[in-house]
Amino acid sequence: MVDFVKRDQNDIFNRPILGFLFKNPKLLMVLRTVVAALFFYAVYFGFVHPAKDNLFTGALFWGIFWSLFMVATLPTFGRIFCGICPHGFLGKYITAFGLQKTMPKWMQNRYIGIVLLVVGWWGIYYTFPGVWKTPFATAALFGGMSLVAFAVYYLYKDMGHCKYICPIGTLSRAYDKLSFTKLETYTDYCKDCRTFECASACSHALKPFSFANKNQTDDCTLCMECASSCEAVKFRFTKPAEQLAGTFKTLNAEIWAYILILASIPVSMTFAHGLNRSRIADSMIWNQTAAYFGMSEYAGGFAFAYALLLTVFISVTGLFLASKVLKKDYSSTFSTLGYAYAPLFILGSLGHTLETFFTKDYETIVEGFAQAFGFAADASALASRGDAWLHYFGLFKWIAVVWALVLIYKRLKLIDAARWRKISGYFFASFVVIFFVGINLYQGHVLSTYGVKERGGNTHGSHSHGGDSFQKISFADKTGKRDFSGAEKAAMIKEDEPIHFTLTDPKENAQNGGGRNTHAMSGGSHRPSSEIPSKKAWLVFNGNRPVSNADIETFVFDAGHELKDVKVEQKRGVSTYRFDIPRNGYYNLIAKNCAVKDDTLWYKIAKLEYLHAQHGNDDVYSDDVKKELNIDGIKIDLIRVKDAREKDFFYRHSMGDTLTFKALLDHKPLANANVAIALSSGWTKNVTTDENGIAKFTIVRDYFPAWNEFDKMYKQNLLLTLTYDEEKKGQIDGNEYQKAKYILTYPLSFYPNSSDYESYGYALILLSITLLCAGIVIYLFRRNRTKPFKEVRYEE
Amino acid sequence: MKSKIKNAINNMNLHRTRFWIQLVVFVIFVYGGYFAIDLGSKLPVFACPYNSASAGACYLIPLQHQLSMPTRVLLGGAAISVIVGLLTFLAWFVFLNKAWCGYMCPIGTLQDWFTALRKRTGIRYSTYTRIQFEKLSKIKYIFLAIVLLFPLLMGVGLLGSQWSAAFCQMCPARIISPMLSGDFSQLTIDFSSKTAMVLTAIGIVFAGLFVIGSFVKKRFFCFFCPMSALHYIFSDLSVVQLKKNGSKCTRCGDCYAVCDMQVKDIADDVTSTNIIRDDCILCLKCVAACPEDGVLHFDILKLNAFSSTKEGFEKRMGMEKPYEGQR
Repeated sequence: MVDFVKRDQNDIFNRPILGFLFKNPKLLMVLRTVVAALFFYAVYFGFVHPAKDNLFTGALFWGIFWSLFMVATLPTFGRIFCGICPHGFLGKYITAFGLQKTMPKWMQNRYIGIVLLVVGWWGIYYTFPGVWKTPFATAALFGGMSLVAFAVYYLYKDMGHCKYICPIGTLSRAYDKLSFTKLETYTDYCKDCRTFECASACSHALKPFSFANKNQTDDCTLCMECASSCEAVKFRFTKPAEQLAGTFKTLNAEIWAYILILASIPVSMTFAHGLNRSRIADSMIWNQTAAYFGMSEYAGGFAFAYALLLTVFISVTGLFLASKVLKKDYSSTFSTLGYAYAPLFILGSLGHTLETFFTKDYETIVEGFAQAFGFAADASALASRGDAWLHYFGLFKWIAVVWALVLIYKRLKLIDAARWRKISGYFFASFVVIFFVGINLYQGHVLSTYGVKERGGNTHGSHSHGGDSFQKISFADKTGKRDFSGAEKAAMIKEDEPIHFTLTDPKENAQNGGGRNTHAMSGGSHRPSSEIPSKKAWLVFNGNRPVSNADIETFVFDAGHELKDVKVEQKRGVSTYRFDIPRNGYYNLIAKNCAVKDDTLWYKIAKLEYLHAQHGNDDVYSDDVKKELNIDGIKIDLIRVKDAREKDFFYRHSMGDTLTFKALLDHKPLANANVAIALSSGWTKNVTTDENGIAKFTIVRDYFPAWNEFDKMYKQNLLLTLTYDEEKKGQIDGNEYQKAKYILTYPLSFYPNSSDYESYGYALILLSITLLCAGIVIYLFRRNRTKPFKEVRYEE
Repeated sequence: MKSKIKNAINNMNLHRTRFWIQLVVFVIFVYGGYFAIDLGSKLPVFACPYNSASAGACYLIPLQHQLSMPTRVLLGGAAISVIVGLLTFLAWFVFLNKAWCGYMCPIGTLQDWFTALRKRTGIRYSTYTRIQFEKLSKIKYIFLAIVLLFPLLMGVGLLGSQWSAAFCQMCPARIISPMLSGDFSQLTIDFSSKTAMVLTAIGIVFAGLFVIGSFVKKRFFCFFCPMSALHYIFSDLSVVQLKKNGSKCTRCGDCYAVCDMQVKDIADDVTSTNIIRDDCILCLKCVAACPEDGVLHFDILKLNAFSSTKEGFEKRMGMEKPYEGQR
């Protein structure tokens, strides 16, 4: 026994707070007692309140213990979950007065625990969804598990239950290898030890003094009994997964735990919950198989079976092929490379678990505890689904993938083979990682392409994954219905009423006032997953009422002046006009509507010039981009003449700009036509075109907020309406007319002028002050330095 | 023949060579737009696109814009564009390593010219003490954090759009580069929001400090440049490296004396072979000033391209006087 050691810097026992938390026996005793009390109270509570209104039992077991605490601690601090487990805690005392027999050989099999977990829990979980999660079933499960555990502890010695029977025993042991902590001893001090207090203190009959040399901790549950018995025990920080970079006595059960848990949780979840939510769920192979056998209500079970089969097949095939190219026997390849799969599940699920905690579980936990202990608590979720920062939890999955790939590389170093053999072996060994990435990408692809299935007819309605998004859909439907009445009114437009394009959804933004717009470059694309970005526009009239009647011809000229189709989508009675904007440049969207009534031709054009600008592509703004577009299909046109100041894709009109327009009728300049200018703020003006068809006007400043409310992205809309009456006979589409009335609308938006908020004067003052101050400081500093050095001498 | 070329290179007048390279590259990066040169937007130098005549754009601009996308978009398909952007940046970077700073960067060149101006006026130069050096040297990582984290916070929704390209708003290159092509529009303070006002005011102050600082201190701004920090992260990937053979080093300190960036390791570290440090701008003045055969050498693809020689040192002594000539 060692009474005193000089602890290393990376020893957790050397840290003031962490050391106390992990080592103080009294604190650990209190902690274990509290956890055990909570555990059995929750079991009791589940039996007493078996109905769904019992929040506490579920919150404790499914909110805290599994999966939050376990998944969060295993890849970080290691198996501390086992260190406070009530079974192990009480088991120690039960074993002390128990029979202490040796476990029969057939029971000393780690696959008992793994099979219990994979089949007994996950198999039933998917096949009979919702069965396990009722408070009564939860209580019965954990109560039953406790009874089994105590029986095994009573009969057999050395905590055999933890090692072989406990469903998460081998799993914890396996994932502990990823953690950045390791329990071991100061071997320098252990050299002379002949008493082995650490080993005799260990209830699991392990030899902590050997952990340092073995590069692993066997079945250590971090109960820290050895640390209280001898000072030479240390609990040190390591690099994450440091153990996996070296050799140690491998255990195939651990690798099977990695593979089977990967199959049971992330892969099965993707199948049974993710892909089953999609519209094409019915064509998935597990649902088809289930339907073939007429067992559709157990389709989740089939999904689970397929997940198991596929994952096991792919990992075994990959490792088998790897062993062939590496020219090593299969079992040694399996036990060496299989350890690299460790991060896939645990980190992948960490993100999901944390996200669930913030969006849902936190609320349930607080309310559950309030229910169990009779205090009042009003908790609300810490985040709502869809909050931007929650997306970062999705990164854990990719960290897991990268880490697994790095680990394969590191584990391959332990194998002695030729370089090219290792490279191809690497490829085969990473099959399971590729599979994991593949199903994740496939799920994203399916959900974004085919969308989420409507409510009802879902075989797993009770599960939370599906539930949230269903709520979202039904919510969207509700808001849609509210606006529907407004859209119905839209149908009636008189002939003389001009229609115009708008880029804001008229349903979303009832007031057509100025307002904040989302900047095009900050990713305002509506469908981020599609390859070609597109822009939506709506046709409105009379303020901002959506147009929905047909008989409107729409087309678009793209940045290269090529005629393209507009995709028209009908949505709740309102048409949405969508056009692709693959390149930066000007897009001219045209809507044409002409009708002859009472010998009068009503010829209406709605035109929209949209300047698309996005950072990060190779388009160059040249004179070609600015070239005037002459449109053949329409009789009347209004073209904005671009001046020299317009010289990049990010050009915006601003208050005070003078705009020049050229009106054309049958491609000839149109004189004496009236152009009405209306600002969304209400200001109006009329100009008449000159003999060259030119109309000019200056955008007024109509934005006078208080200084601190000024918004330089304040967007105001302006609508130009060109009207011209022509007393000329003619015919169109077989209909003759005596006179023609032309109406063309041209909307544009503008922003405050930069001179309204940018100041040269203050900048120059500040610059001068900076130059002056810096100059003076340097000058003074240097003058002081050049003063003769006065030495102070002391007589010695 | 081979040794003849090698000798010629090793004996070259680095000062003059570097001046001409810098001049040509400066013209390309600052006025290249007039010659319709477009080198893309992932350049590892401060070729500031606020200057409309620039032949390309500093990578920090697209990087900040990309990272500021809404998180859902960023972590969705847009992640690919971020990765492609980074790879493009690296493709440029690996060719020259930190020589992008010492030879290519127009803002660096400008500072060298300020230094030349100071020399002519006969004003002496300043240096930092070691303690100041250690502390100030960390600032570039703070700036790099601003470049990377602020856009991410925008994507999450914690910062508004007025924080867009926050570093650029503070960067002196944004204000000074456009001036080189006669555009003074960046010399303004943006009063549209308090954030913008503070950031642009800081930018103006930094621009002032840039002028004064680079006049009295060689390569004043490079010391704080986040691009330099970003370079250093990927420095080992580059095909060009500055190597040192410490066993032959006499620790005379010539290399340290000529170093614009006051990298002390160049003289003191006799154990590491790779001698590029985060402040290094790979100007190769140290190689030119080294009087020992083959102690410092500049390698391209592990081939010795420019190495310190006794002969070269003696030849250059007329031009580069590490003790008297440096002001």
